[in-house]
Amino acid sequence: MLTKGNLLTYLIALLIILTLNFFLPRMMPGDPLMAIYGDEALVQMSPQLKADLTERFALDQSLAEQFASYWLALFRGDLGYSYSYNAPVTEVIFGRLPWTLLLAGLALLLSTAIGIMLGIESGWRRGGRFDSGVLSGMVTLSGFPDFFLGILLLLLFAVNLKVLPLFGAEDVYSGLSGFARLIDIGEHLILPLTTLVLARITGGYLLTRNTMIGVLKEPYILLARAKGLKPRTVKYRHAGRNSMLPVMTQTGIWMGLMVTGVLFIEVVFSYPGIGLLAYDALTFRDYPVLQGLLLVSAFCVLGANFIVDLLYARVDPRVSYAH
Amino acid sequence: MLKIEDLKVSFDGESILRGINLEVADDECLAVIGESGAGKTTLGLSIMGLLNGNTAGQINLGDTNILTLSEEEMRNLRWSHVAMAFQSSQNRLNPTHRILDQVAEPLIAHGKQEKAPAREKAAGLLEKVGIEPEKLSHYPHELSGGEQQRVLIAMALVNEPELLILDEPISSLDAKSQVEMIAFLRRAIAGRMTLLVTHNLSTAAKLASRTATLYGGRIVELGPTNLMLSQPRHPYTRALLRSYPNMTTVKDLQGIKGRMDRRVIGCPFHPRCTQAIPICREQIPALENHEGRLVACHRGGIIPALSVTDISKSFKTLKAVDGVSLVLEHGETLALVGQSGSGKTTLARMLSGILEPDAGEIFIEHRKAGQPSKDFHRTVQLVFQNPGEALSHRLTVLEAVREPLEVQGIGTRAEQDKAARKVIEEVELPTTEEFLDEYPHHLSGGELQRVNIARALVLNPQVLIADEPTAFLDSSIQAKVLKLLMNLQENRGLSMLFITHDIAVARKISDRIAVMHEGRIAEQGSTSQIITSPSSPHTQSLLDSAAGLHSDTEIARDE
Amino acid sequence: MHIDPKQEVVKSKGGRLGLTLLLVVVLMAIFADLLTPYDPLAQTAQSFESPSWEHLLGTNHVGQDIWSQLVYGARTSLVVGLLVAALSTVLAALIGASTALIGGVYDRIVMRLVDAFIIIPMILLLILLSIYVDPNLGSGAIIAIEVLIGIIVVGIAFYMVRSLGWVGLLIIGPVLALIVLARNLLPTTGGLIIILSLLSWQGGARTLRAQALALKEKPHVAAARGFGANTWYIIRRHIIPDMGPLLVADFVFCVRRAVFLQAGMAFLGIGNPNVVSWGSMINDARQWIFLDAWRWWLVPAGVALSITIVAITLIGSALEPALDPRLRGEVSAQN
Repeated sequence: MLTKGNLLTYLIALLIILTLNFFLPRMMPGDPLMAIYGDEALVQMSPQLKADLTERFALDQSLAEQFASYWLALFRGDLGYSYSYNAPVTEVIFGRLPWTLLLAGLALLLSTAIGIMLGIESGWRRGGRFDSGVLSGMVTLSGFPDFFLGILLLLLFAVNLKVLPLFGAEDVYSGLSGFARLIDIGEHLILPLTTLVLARITGGYLLTRNTMIGVLKEPYILLARAKGLKPRTVKYRHAGRNSMLPVMTQTGIWMGLMVTGVLFIEVVFSYPGIGLLAYDALTFRDYPVLQGLLLVSAFCVLGANFIVDLLYARVDPRVSYAH
Repeated sequence: MLKIEDLKVSFDGESILRGINLEVADDECLAVIGESGAGKTTLGLSIMGLLNGNTAGQINLGDTNILTLSEEEMRNLRWSHVAMAFQSSQNRLNPTHRILDQVAEPLIAHGKQEKAPAREKAAGLLEKVGIEPEKLSHYPHELSGGEQQRVLIAMALVNEPELLILDEPISSLDAKSQVEMIAFLRRAIAGRMTLLVTHNLSTAAKLASRTATLYGGRIVELGPTNLMLSQPRHPYTRALLRSYPNMTTVKDLQGIKGRMDRRVIGCPFHPRCTQAIPICREQIPALENHEGRLVACHRGGIIPALSVTDISKSFKTLKAVDGVSLVLEHGETLALVGQSGSGKTTLARMLSGILEPDAGEIFIEHRKAGQPSKDFHRTVQLVFQNPGEALSHRLTVLEAVREPLEVQGIGTRAEQDKAARKVIEEVELPTTEEFLDEYPHHLSGGELQRVNIARALVLNPQVLIADEPTAFLDSSIQAKVLKLLMNLQENRGLSMLFITHDIAVARKISDRIAVMHEGRIAEQGSTSQIITSPSSPHTQSLLDSAAGLHSDTEIARDE
Repeated sequence: MHIDPKQEVVKSKGGRLGLTLLLVVVLMAIFADLLTPYDPLAQTAQSFESPSWEHLLGTNHVGQDIWSQLVYGARTSLVVGLLVAALSTVLAALIGASTALIGGVYDRIVMRLVDAFIIIPMILLLILLSIYVDPNLGSGAIIAIEVLIGIIVVGIAFYMVRSLGWVGLLIIGPVLALIVLARNLLPTTGGLIIILSLLSWQGGARTLRAQALALKEKPHVAAARGFGANTWYIIRRHIIPDMGPLLVADFVFCVRRAVFLQAGMAFLGIGNPNVVSWGSMINDARQWIFLDAWRWWLVPAGVALSITIVAITLIGSALEPALDPRLRGEVSAQN
């Protein structure tokens, strides 16, 4: 539901992140430049650059002035400079973002859709063989950490069977273009996408199934049956539609979880999205990139929440009425 | 025509319906009345084939027993042949679909009409039940409870079913809308086979030609609606009427003692019945014809607790009671109203066996009471007019209440004390030693009368005759004693003959009134009928002299 | 409606399976010293030895015994999981109940923060925090944490034994043993435990607040207020006991999350490299994926981790009907 309250929540979330980003490095003892840029970057810097940066971040001035210049930089879209990539942080992150959006977006879409479908069928046949089978499968599946699942799939299909590529988002050196390139990208996508979908499907499935079980006891389902509707109509038109609603409200939160999942999967498959970027930045101690990533991914999650809020009002008439 | 034969339904071993036999003719509306939990809705749902419990018996719609149909056959039958206007409740309509679509859905789903004409027809029906045109594309949560109920009724009619089941069709409507909806339903169900399921007796009265009372999963009474509601024969139907708030009855509302229990062996109503006999606890009574209607009662319906035929008593030349015949039914309160000197007290004394009649006979239930015996006194007890004089000043409260037990030789002294204390508590008096040792002259008028009532009740009588029990009391105390008597009547299932000169008191506490004048019964009938349309001038004069709260100026304006 | 979490878990097939699996892992963690003669961090043989009677699962790239690492890894996973769950459940309960009961500005501010925290991508925040916050705790901090944990664990143990009877004893006994045995883990994982706890109570607080709000409206709580009971009394005597099943469920899901996050952090190579952990085993093994060693190195670690999480999930799912009455047995459709 898109309310003033939600907007406020979003703002507070951003504020927390920005404040953390600002204060965490500056609270460290020692040279704040080292805290902001990491010790390795500091070693490589020329004294001239050090002076430049100190001026830029107003590091020789009071905390309040530093805070002000921090905000000014943010408004200019300046998230700092990455020394391991030798490029502005914004550029580095936005170069990687499309891959993550492709992978995570598809995974969220597929896992929610499949979760809802299976949840509806499972709830409809509660206690039956289909239901018990899918339910226990799902519970087991949700126990596998996504990175372990990914490695297993990698071992099976890429290392041993050699049917799918080992790493990356595309074969950069093959010089493919057009449709051939699309196929190549698709092949690279299969394993990480499958892993993510498998790891994330349980939430949507369980929620839909549990809601379905509740919905099937609602008086309007008895009425729908009494009208002599086909079981299919009762299942989808009357029960299914209502069972999807809670899943939709949860999608925003799953978006946040997806960032976690996609990070591990990108590391496992060396998929060049922002998750792998975060891992590399962690390895290279490239702090500006990490801070920028936290901010950008928070923006992505907020954006997704925003869209979900807008969509939800269209699906559940009660919401648009309430506001 | 709908013919239900020996329909039994149970969930998890608990029987909800226990052998229902019903017939609804093609153009008839049959009402099924009963409390919640009686199985009314289950009956409706079983005809729709929507129960997942165990069902046995037959539900014949025309030539088909719908209980033998497959789910697919049943699905085709639903709504096109049998439709149900469900009781309105939270989430009865699907919250995510527009009401017009939900009403039109059965037409489209059963292939009766294409989408557009179906919606047109649905819109027309919705308008007829009183939904404003601009609300047709609303979602259920945008409608009031009453509007949702209208939608449900329109929905039930949209496929023009042969058999219509109405489940509490007006319960969510306000009073004015109820009148409109009843008028609409009368037109809608004319010539249609209709089963009305309700606890609202007035709906039954207005829509149904015949009515069946459902209790504990069984039909206990079935007959023409007007007869059922004016002269119920089954104790339960009468109890339902007594507890139903309406503008016809003038008596105060009364509950039904005890509560419904599905696991009862024998007659399902016997634990709450005032006239149960041993066989009621053992055997289930069959639904049999008694005086023009079907009653399931081992005793053939409500029986007289005490009756007299042609009873007379003269004192020298004065004919105090002159050929009176009167029936006091089981579990009812009959008020005997008349001016002083009309013979009420004489009649009361004869009925309670204190005075011997010159002529005529007294019956307890159907047995003739010969010489007043100890047995007779155990059944019939009298509460006297003047509480102070009716108690011996030499006996303490406890001794006075214990006295009847001593006289009858019932129990040991300890048991007698225990019974006396219990009944003293029942009449809402203290049971402290101090109070029990009080002598009558230390007690107030209200307390004295309560002691009198306790003394009358200590023998557990069937019939209580109260002779002007509140004549000597202030009006606030009178109100309390009257409430006490009504509660005792309800809780103990007493049959009470209440003698009073005040028709205003009679109006509040009695089911029936008999007006006495110069030793004869001038008029008798149901309280509401006597009060609203008296036929005897003596009744009229009693009514005219009864207390009212109109000021004289208002009376003048009325005239 | 009276809900007995013990009954729910013991009654369901999944719940029993979960308890059994978890018991195996717990026993492994408790008796780690008896199950292997080697120090999991010591170099006891050549690198990449295949499984043998000396080294049941062979050795890793620096010659450490893999079986020892697997067994001691259980200790790390469970201790982190249990302590994080204990701390964050207590936080969630206190904050959830107090916001519901106090309400007003306090409620609004705290719940707004909670909502905001739920949106922030947790793993990135964890990574960033791990860079700036030293995971190794000083001795003063360790003692403080030990005392805090001691109080909370004893409190929970008391509550579990009282409300769950023998099952409570069965659960809390091994847990106590484990925590006592694994005290030496605190200096290296204490920081992680605190960070994870501080970042995991929000969801639970929201659920518990909703429940407390519902309970607050119950007549018996209103009655207690009528006798003049104060807020703290009501939390202690009416809210917390009635929230029992929810607390148990929140605890279970916190354990699951913490076990997963600990493994994940170790997998990313964050934290003290001297902590033996299934996550770091998987990470190390991943680098040598083209050797056969993954069969007895990567797979056992991953399977152990998965079994632990599945077991906790099974217990959690068995509790679910207790929390959501809609999922309980069919109610016959009567009038």
